[in-house]
Amino acid sequence: MRLRRRVRPRVGAGALTVAAVLLGSGCTSSAETEDPGAPRPGTLRVLASSELVDMEPVLDQVEERTGIKIRPTYMGTLDAVSLLAKNTTDGRYDALWLSSNDYLHLRPDAARKVVSETPVMTSPVAIGVKTTTVRRLGWKPQEVTWSQVEQAVRDGRLTYGMTDPARSNSGFSALISVASGLSGAQSALTEADVAKATPRLKEFFKGQKLTSGSSGWLAAAYGRRGTVDALINYESMLTPMKDLTVIRPRDGVVTADYPLTSLAATGQDTRDTVRRVADALRTPEIQDEITRSTFRRPVVTSVPPSDALDTGRRRELPFPGSRSVADGLLDSYENKLRRPSRTVYVLDTSGSMEGDRIERLKAALADLTGDFRDREEVTLMPFGSDVKSVRTHVVDPADPRAGLDAIRGDTDALSADGDTAIFTSLQKAYGHLGTGPDTFTSIVLMTDGENTAGAKASEFDDFYQGLPAAQREIPVFPILFGDSDRDELEHIAELTGGRLFDAQKGSLDGAFEEIRGYQ
Amino acid sequence: MRRIIGIVLAVLLIGGVGAAVVAGREQDTSTATKTVRGVIGSEKAEFFSDPDVVKALSAKGFTVKTETAGSWAMEDLDLKGYDFAFPSSKAPADALAEKYRARQPLPRPFYSPLVVVAHRVAASVLAANGLATLDGGGGRGTLKMAEYLKAAEQDRTWQRLKGAERYAELTGAVYITSTDPLSSNSGALYLAAASYVAAGDRVAANSADVGRTAPLMRKLIGVQGAQQPSSDAAFRDFISGAGNPLVLVYEQQVASLLAQGQQVDDLTVLYPDTTTTSDHTVVPLTAEGRALGELLSSDPKLRALAARHGFRPQGDTGEFTAATAAHTTYLNQKLTGFHQAPVPASAVLHEMARRARG
Repeated sequence: MRLRRRVRPRVGAGALTVAAVLLGSGCTSSAETEDPGAPRPGTLRVLASSELVDMEPVLDQVEERTGIKIRPTYMGTLDAVSLLAKNTTDGRYDALWLSSNDYLHLRPDAARKVVSETPVMTSPVAIGVKTTTVRRLGWKPQEVTWSQVEQAVRDGRLTYGMTDPARSNSGFSALISVASGLSGAQSALTEADVAKATPRLKEFFKGQKLTSGSSGWLAAAYGRRGTVDALINYESMLTPMKDLTVIRPRDGVVTADYPLTSLAATGQDTRDTVRRVADALRTPEIQDEITRSTFRRPVVTSVPPSDALDTGRRRELPFPGSRSVADGLLDSYENKLRRPSRTVYVLDTSGSMEGDRIERLKAALADLTGDFRDREEVTLMPFGSDVKSVRTHVVDPADPRAGLDAIRGDTDALSADGDTAIFTSLQKAYGHLGTGPDTFTSIVLMTDGENTAGAKASEFDDFYQGLPAAQREIPVFPILFGDSDRDELEHIAELTGGRLFDAQKGSLDGAFEEIRGYQ
Repeated sequence: MRRIIGIVLAVLLIGGVGAAVVAGREQDTSTATKTVRGVIGSEKAEFFSDPDVVKALSAKGFTVKTETAGSWAMEDLDLKGYDFAFPSSKAPADALAEKYRARQPLPRPFYSPLVVVAHRVAASVLAANGLATLDGGGGRGTLKMAEYLKAAEQDRTWQRLKGAERYAELTGAVYITSTDPLSSNSGALYLAAASYVAAGDRVAANSADVGRTAPLMRKLIGVQGAQQPSSDAAFRDFISGAGNPLVLVYEQQVASLLAQGQQVDDLTVLYPDTTTTSDHTVVPLTAEGRALGELLSSDPKLRALAARHGFRPQGDTGEFTAATAAHTTYLNQKLTGFHQAPVPASAVLHEMARRARG
């Protein structure tokens, strides 16, 4: 197995600010300038998995009972583990609350930083299939196996969305479930199991039409797209969605158990506070509230699961017991199994980028280049008063270095001059992509200013509406940088079904890295 | 230099005494309690947070603050500022006692045997295939360790057991889920029992002994994949309906649930015919810590409360029998005919765990 470019979920400040944008779209500028990492008495700063945003009403009740306020910072599970391992969490967080600590335990550098872990609730990763599709396929939800799902994909009768396994625990759990199901492994996955399942996994992942760095955006994109048949996500997220039948495949599931975790770098008093919160979360009243409002399963016997949840049991598929198996599986997903991605980077190199800004862009791109996957197609489209050049490179698995070196060469050659023709350049990016091969296709727009040349926003709106349906599925992920206009970029993200990333508060390389989860 | 520190210390001490006198005067009318801090195994967290326990301790002059950690993980923690550690068995306790020079004998207030919890259908299938026997209504039974180990050795799957085909969750390899033997006590005790049976009822005394059962031990751990760090976490998953059909827990965890009047209809408690027992052992790090350990062992009120939390107090069996009288459908009070596997010495057990984890 080749681990040339080990999947390494890196997180810069970018991840934090995206989380902040998600949470507090209405927050004032003074709240934004406040250091979110500063400790405050009576509050717990918790690094939490992004889907836990639905727990906020429950946490208010915990606060009423205990007087302790939880201040969550949301992040993908694997990103959070990396952060923990690199000591970046010390002094910034009082506790960890991830979907699962299984991956954490595979990394001794992270595992030694936690003290106690209290599972609070559980939710298996399931597949939610449109009820009409279930009928069309003639499926009995109780009987469906991962093999049947794969067969339906193979027959061209099922497409689905799931999160990026290298960032999100739901995606990773799905990957493990499918690899277990399709390899026929009877116990914890081994490298041999993964190798055996690879051809079938490849078929399976041909059906993945949506990817995402977070489960929240995935659900939104699914709703918008309308043409995808299914979503792989936590049962808790799928259950409240309309017209979806939640299927826990008969051959097994991987379940998240949300351990509230105290950290070795904190003091005894803090850990005591964490324990009090954990105790409160496990009281029957709160457990009942959790299952009724978030559709997760309780961990105390006196509280039955929500009526919306099926109580039939499922085999629990073991999570890999070694990091080499886990990382090997991630590596093959990224470089072999998934559909490759195709991205146009529309990069503002107008006059205002002169100096420090263009240097930062170059550095961020150089950093990003190490992350490109095998088979990935990358187009650099620098612009000023108009598009300056269009350079496309493919990372060839036989000689990945050649493509990467070419991207680095083009990056080095970027220079700043001209006005800012955002919309004209975007139109050209859509034109370049056309209706290409079967890939995850997207556009990244990095600009440090407002549109000053070429097409106007309204013209771009018309242009976009006139595109064929397949092209309208290509999202633009704008990055807020320098003096760019938040409203203008927000509008582009909304129009095209993308998402805005903030490199004004965070770093540019953090934003590029975060977007990887969506490509 | 040393003299200066001495003077500073003396000043601080005098100041401290002064403050104590003042504080003492102010608190004349209330009950003053000493705050003692301890690191405990997760299975004792509920005991220490029980308001009745808090009250009983307070009546004896103690306020106990605890946090949880795996029994073996305690060795890696900095225990400065703590009064006691309370791991779940003797081996890690002895290791800690040596590290912190705690005087032997260590107080061992209560114990609990390891059991396997299963949902009723899984237990019935095991029984129908000669891996277990069930008593009466099927709420409790005996796991035949030798048979189970043979099945594990042969990679037997649920699909190959008769009667399993009707249940979706009964597929895949037949195995018991334990905690991580490197960090958690119950996982290590599982290996102690399994290796004892596998070696023909002989306790491992050295590396050569460990080597003889290592391939099987490695299999028992390897099939599980990632393991939970504590028996509490594994049991919670089981209760919520997630997880493997067979989970190794302490009898105490089940007894405690039953004592709270919780419904566990569908549960079967399988007592391994050869099992190991966790001796919950207090490692005193200060005089207060030792006093607490002794109090837990001797105070009738606290012993009764421990039994209500499912522990078996050392010595007299009366408290446990009384506390579990209503729950004999699930619990085996007497444990007659069950063998207790001796636990290898700390270093040997560590090596066994390390090699099993591979």
